[in-house]
Amino acid sequence: MFGKLSLSAIPLSQPIPLITSGVVILIVIGVLSLVTIKGWWPYLWREWITSVDHKRIGVMYCLLGVLMLIRGFADAIMMRTQQAMAINAPGYLPPEHYDQIFTAHGTIMILFGAMPLVLGFMNFLVPLQLGVRDVAFPTFNSVGFWLTASGALLVNLSLFIGEFARTGWLPYPPLSEATYTPGVGVDYYLWAVQISGVGTLITGINVVTTVLKMRCRGMSYLRMPVFCWTALASCLLIVAAFPVLTATLAMLTLDRYVGWHYFTNTAGGNPMMFVNLVWAWGHPEVYILVLPAFGIYSEIFSTFSGKPLFGYRSMVVATMFICVVSMMVWLHHFFTMGAGAAVNTFFGISSSIIAVGTGVKIYNWIFTMYGGRVRFETPMLWSMGFIFTFIIGGLTGVLLAVPPADFLTHNSMFLVAHFHNVIIGGVVFAIFAGLEFWFPKAFGFRLHEGWGKAAFWFAFIGFWVTFTPLYVLGLLGMTRRLQHINVPEWRPWLYVSVIGVGILILGVITQVMQLVVSIRDRERLRDVTGDPWDGRSLEWATPSPPPFFNFAVMPNVEGEEAYWGIKLRAVESQQLSPEPQYEPIEMPVNSPVGFYTAFFASVFGFSMIWHIWWLAAVALVAAFAGFVGFAWRDVHEFEVPAEEVARVDRARRAAREALLERLSRQEALP
Amino acid sequence: MSNLESDRDLYAGPLNDLEDHAPGDEPPEEESGHWVRNANLGLGFSIVLTASAFLLAGSHVIYAPAIPVALIVLAIAQMGVHLVFFLHVTTGPDNTNNVLALAFGILVVFLVVGGSIWIMAHLKQNMMPAAQLMQMQQ
Amino acid sequence: MSDIGLPASVEALRRVREDPHRLGHHAHGAREPVTGAGHGATGPAQKRIIVGYGFWIFLLSDIVVFSCFFAAFAVQRGETAGGPSMAEIVDVRRVVFETAALLLSSYTCMLSFASTNARSRLWTEVFLLVTGLLGLVFVLLEVQEFVELAGRGITPQRSGMLTAFFGLVGLHGLHVTAGGLWLATMMAQVLIKGFRREIVHRLICFNLFWHALDIVWIGIFTIVYLMGSIA
Repeated sequence: MFGKLSLSAIPLSQPIPLITSGVVILIVIGVLSLVTIKGWWPYLWREWITSVDHKRIGVMYCLLGVLMLIRGFADAIMMRTQQAMAINAPGYLPPEHYDQIFTAHGTIMILFGAMPLVLGFMNFLVPLQLGVRDVAFPTFNSVGFWLTASGALLVNLSLFIGEFARTGWLPYPPLSEATYTPGVGVDYYLWAVQISGVGTLITGINVVTTVLKMRCRGMSYLRMPVFCWTALASCLLIVAAFPVLTATLAMLTLDRYVGWHYFTNTAGGNPMMFVNLVWAWGHPEVYILVLPAFGIYSEIFSTFSGKPLFGYRSMVVATMFICVVSMMVWLHHFFTMGAGAAVNTFFGISSSIIAVGTGVKIYNWIFTMYGGRVRFETPMLWSMGFIFTFIIGGLTGVLLAVPPADFLTHNSMFLVAHFHNVIIGGVVFAIFAGLEFWFPKAFGFRLHEGWGKAAFWFAFIGFWVTFTPLYVLGLLGMTRRLQHINVPEWRPWLYVSVIGVGILILGVITQVMQLVVSIRDRERLRDVTGDPWDGRSLEWATPSPPPFFNFAVMPNVEGEEAYWGIKLRAVESQQLSPEPQYEPIEMPVNSPVGFYTAFFASVFGFSMIWHIWWLAAVALVAAFAGFVGFAWRDVHEFEVPAEEVARVDRARRAAREALLERLSRQEALP
Repeated sequence: MSNLESDRDLYAGPLNDLEDHAPGDEPPEEESGHWVRNANLGLGFSIVLTASAFLLAGSHVIYAPAIPVALIVLAIAQMGVHLVFFLHVTTGPDNTNNVLALAFGILVVFLVVGGSIWIMAHLKQNMMPAAQLMQMQQ
Repeated sequence: MSDIGLPASVEALRRVREDPHRLGHHAHGAREPVTGAGHGATGPAQKRIIVGYGFWIFLLSDIVVFSCFFAAFAVQRGETAGGPSMAEIVDVRRVVFETAALLLSSYTCMLSFASTNARSRLWTEVFLLVTGLLGLVFVLLEVQEFVELAGRGITPQRSGMLTAFFGLVGLHGLHVTAGGLWLATMMAQVLIKGFRREIVHRLICFNLFWHALDIVWIGIFTIVYLMGSIA
């Protein structure tokens, strides 16, 4: 009746998961009670849960990502402290538990922390920067978000009920096959990642279609902001690479559930094929994360240097170059598996060549700053920290791309330090830079500058103190994922690394303080004009936060940096452009189909994990029924009357008059 | 859902002749004759190519080791027939996005399939077979 | 296409630009950017274009899934683990019927869309029904094949090669089945709601899907069955 599920699935004998589960359950109950008591459910349902507005969905993606980053960071703290304590000692985490922690850390950080944040940024910004009202398929967008949330839910459920995988974040067979891991851990991983992978693919399709088929008048390809180019490249990679992950995990699922032989080590299976296919996804995945990060930096460097981005066309070429070549380098993740000299040489060369694209971008950012009037506000600090950090991380990457060198450093702490260097320096710094930069646009008030700067410095210093020792340890011969260490010479490096973690904890606390203080002081920090940073692209033409229809009248773009042109013209002529003719606007209606689909996807995933077949069938039928029911609806859109549009826009124009006056009083814009 | 939607001139339902369209979608003036003609031609060519492939497979008409190559050529040709006649993917400017997307997809398929075959063949040559590995454990 | 009144050289230039090989027809699209076509300079595309293109991108992702299963088959086709090889399980006669059914169903699918463009509900439903029946024939033949093989003890659990075979062919069959369910839903929607805008959009998507499945089948019958039968 309940498949493999029984009371023994609750980790009563393991204190850490038990206490954590208890605390989390209490927090969840507390939040749900608060919302119920305050009567916020109708608002939440109407404005957020059933919303198909790309801005709301983007914010929810980012919120999910930030929460998951914190959970992943907690796992990291446990790992670093265990290694510092387990030098010829047992430490405090038994191997079965430690293995789950490093697996969860990788899975959560990449797939449920960084991916949702990057998807959230793309969702929020692309329509605004392209001057349109929403993405190509708004309701589908909601489905995509809720499916990602469903995957995150399943991963977190494994803490309370059952266990997580112990295989590392990519579940290599034969260990991940049913013969060697009969428990539910790998199944939790498989269903969570499959379900959220569908969600990610949906965003990929949405953004590609939006960028290629939905831009406002006058915005040709070479007038798009660079962030939109990087979003396009990243989503093309999503469309190209995520299906490979779907297929590979499906094959492993078939092996585990019905005894097939794709990757078994008996009866003709080939475990190395899993490694090959999963990295054919895995390498594009990191470029999926880093390309939008590069786009964020492009926006920030030009805005905070007061100059157009240097070398726009070379940026575009470099972006598409990286997009294509990133699909030709994946073997560098398994040079040591034995493919031989010819194959290793090809992929070693391609992995070195791909650095050229990033090199072009870095030079362009530096030349953007040169000759500009640089303002060192928080987003710019994160960006400059990125330049320093990422260059070094990238250099270690090119070192690893040389197969003979990789034979010594593969799966050592040197590798671990390298990929954290580029992911944290590249993606995480970009996320914080972007959060600081676009927070006023999304929520209508600025973040406290002082706390923001402090958070940056803690993160930057903390990162280097944590990970430099890991480079040294790698060269001293320490392998990754060790629960027990029997080389006392490594002790000082492990201790320094834990000090670094302490600094990072201060960084997290400072970041949270920034949020708390800013919310408390939000009236004082209110963004009244919609353009707090003297921005250059179209999202800064809207009020903060933008109305649900984004633009009262879609802009007519006449050059690069659309909004900068509008501002210059207004300052020169000392007046705003004339009030436009307001038309009624059609917007899509909200829909619960996303939440409904994800609910049954979660039930389906959970029942498949625990082999509760009847419940899985019920969930599948219910999901299909919901889909058909949704397809049968008659009303897709509602009309916003012209008077309402006019009212909102006139308020915006009044704020812009004030901004214009302030700009005219300053010295002439460049 | 732009405010173009409320512009009656622009939104006329069936496709205008001058616009981009998806593969397999056609401007309406073309469909009388043109559409059905495409379908008939496509079916005709496909039948010829399919029959050739089936007949070739078991026969001795050509040099035996060349048969797999010939089958693949026939398959690619038939895929092309489907793309051109059934899906109407052309080289016109109304189809540029479709062609580019298709080219990208073909590149990815080639990289994944070709790359995997190349890599796995080398691994098979260099590494001990799984059955032998398992025997060593016993 | 001649424009009387212009000098001959201008006329010649225009003809060269529009019809350089004198084939008597020109590309469907205009050279000038057209409003609502999504050419960038003129604003967002119409919904019909957006929906069709989005589905085309989804189809490409589906093709990549199939390519992974093809790759697995290519890598494992020799791993018979002492069990039967491809040549022993291929039944070319049945594959001929499956191929014929699917190809004809692609043809009738096109005709149904032509009927949709002509706004004829009757012929749309008729051709959709024929398409669905031919698809059903295909699926039943494949089920029969799998059942027969299982009766001989030839199951995917036997070897890596059989896993890859059943996986690839089964995935395609699953897609055809899902397409059949979709077809039934579309027939009901056309019957009840007629040719509303979003119904036509979904029919465009269904067409793309069905033709793509036939394209994948070309790959399967060539690489799996025909090449398997001669190895």
